Amino acid sequence: MWEVMFWPIVACVLLPWLLVYLGLHVVQRGIIFIDIAMAQMASLGICLAVLFHLDLQGWATFGIALGFTLVGGAIFSVTGKRSSQIPQEAVIGISYVVAAAAAVLLLSRAAEGDEQIKQMLVGNILLVTPLEVWKCFALFVAVGIVHFVLRQNFLLVSFDRDEAYQQGLRVRWWDFLFYAVFGLVVTSFVRIAGVLLVFSYLIVPAVCGINLARRISNRLLIGWIIALIGGVAGLFLSFWWDLPSGAAIVCTFGALLILVSLLAFCRNRFQRLIDTP
Amino acid sequence: MALTNFKLMKQILLILSTILACAFSAQAKLNVVATLPDFGSLAREIGGDKVNVTVLAKPTEDSHFVDARPSFVVQLRTADVLIDGGAELELGWLPPLLQNARNPKIEVGKPGRVQASQGIRLMGVPTTLTRAAGDVHALGNPHFMIDPIIAKAVAQHIAQAFSAVDSVNAATYEANYKKFEATINSKLQQWGATLLPFKGQPVAAYHESWVYFAHRFGFNIDIFLEPKPGIPPSPSHLVEVIEKMKAAHVKAILVEPYHNRKIAEKVAASTGAKVVDVAQFPGALPATDTYVALIDALVSRIAAAMK
Repeated sequence: MWEVMFWPIVACVLLPWLLVYLGLHVVQRGIIFIDIAMAQMASLGICLAVLFHLDLQGWATFGIALGFTLVGGAIFSVTGKRSSQIPQEAVIGISYVVAAAAAVLLLSRAAEGDEQIKQMLVGNILLVTPLEVWKCFALFVAVGIVHFVLRQNFLLVSFDRDEAYQQGLRVRWWDFLFYAVFGLVVTSFVRIAGVLLVFSYLIVPAVCGINLARRISNRLLIGWIIALIGGVAGLFLSFWWDLPSGAAIVCTFGALLILVSLLAFCRNRFQRLIDTP
Repeated sequence: MALTNFKLMKQILLILSTILACAFSAQAKLNVVATLPDFGSLAREIGGDKVNVTVLAKPTEDSHFVDARPSFVVQLRTADVLIDGGAELELGWLPPLLQNARNPKIEVGKPGRVQASQGIRLMGVPTTLTRAAGDVHALGNPHFMIDPIIAKAVAQHIAQAFSAVDSVNAATYEANYKKFEATINSKLQQWGATLLPFKGQPVAAYHESWVYFAHRFGFNIDIFLEPKPGIPPSPSHLVEVIEKMKAAHVKAILVEPYHNRKIAEKVAASTGAKVVDVAQFPGALPATDTYVALIDALVSRIAAAMK
């Protein structure tokens, strides 16, 4: 069992910490589906590379994909106005469908079957290679350092926008930086773990943390614990019952969220009982 | 801390498995893994009760896309023989599995690896290799198992591999192959006779996976609902297909379980042709557990539609 599950477990231990942290930002900003939109932008870039017959593993393809992610970041930072009639989530949804449809159009013209492209875009956590895990980990550490050094501004822009404006921060530029780095993280994780897992790792631990705690540090701690338990338990279940690994982890996360919600509900009830004389 | 635990568990498991392997090696069966159900069916015919056959893909799954599960890696790790198509049909999913399984017994070139396409002249080998031609397989059309004469050759290849890996039972494998060969030879006459009245008639198909069948039984399959392999039909292409089908009086459209049947039904409705549910793999149609039963079903279904 270890021989098969060792690297998936390593990936589930080493990688999600950054996603959980970014997830807190994403949930706070109320832009839940941004990861899927970003991933779709990157895949649109790869479809373009296919059209030009570029080497799919090469740097040129990576550059185009990154460029498209940056365009996505630019769109989202420009449309994320201080007060607007149009919710950010609408822009994200539109970006997703247009990027997805444009990919279909490009592929029909490029006349390339999507077999290889699909395999390249959407990884399977069961089949990660050590090299992939270390590459992704190195990137995550770098991004983690950027976020740690600039944490004050990033947190202010995500959690207290009014205050950020009052302090005279260039909120749009900070937004753009956030989205650009975020796109890099999401696309590299999608390539080794798939879209379902990226979404779950971003959102579920963050929601659990928000359910149970108020302070960001506590939320982060709870999120990390949930991510660790969900990932490793999901992999074990996938092995014992022979299920597709990514989907098993996602469903484990769903179950954990229900447990956490019940816990939060009971705690609130209990608190109220104590408070009422 | 966690790492040392892993190592300890790993060692315990290793020792346990060695003990088990020693205890059972006396009458152990050959562990055979087949990527697709057609290879699995042949492996059962040849191996009989001397082998354990595991098939990775389900018969109703699109053989180009298969979802990997942990047991796939485990089975590949413990396999004595692996049978795969060898012509890039499993390109999208087998290589990463093999990379993770790291089983030297089933590496390409070892006696434990049967690549079915070896020694078979594939149809539709592209003359130039560009991606522009669609999801084309560089080595040729990999859907060759549907031709019974090619299946015979693959069965012989499998028998040779089994004999090489498990020489004690070589005589059994050889005898089983002879039996299979005789069955196919006698069946070929029957199938040929059933389909003879329709020789030279045109048939349409959703995907380019029936050229070997058509070649063997004398059909003319050159109308495909997909404009290029793996590319979904566009409206203008469908209009063209409908016109071609009307002009040629095509009576049957072959559709596999994972293809879009609605598109085929639409084309059928405007041309008067019948949609025939066919499959590449034993087990995908009711009562087709073996290769021979599958070809039986295909022949009778197509004959019924062409009448």
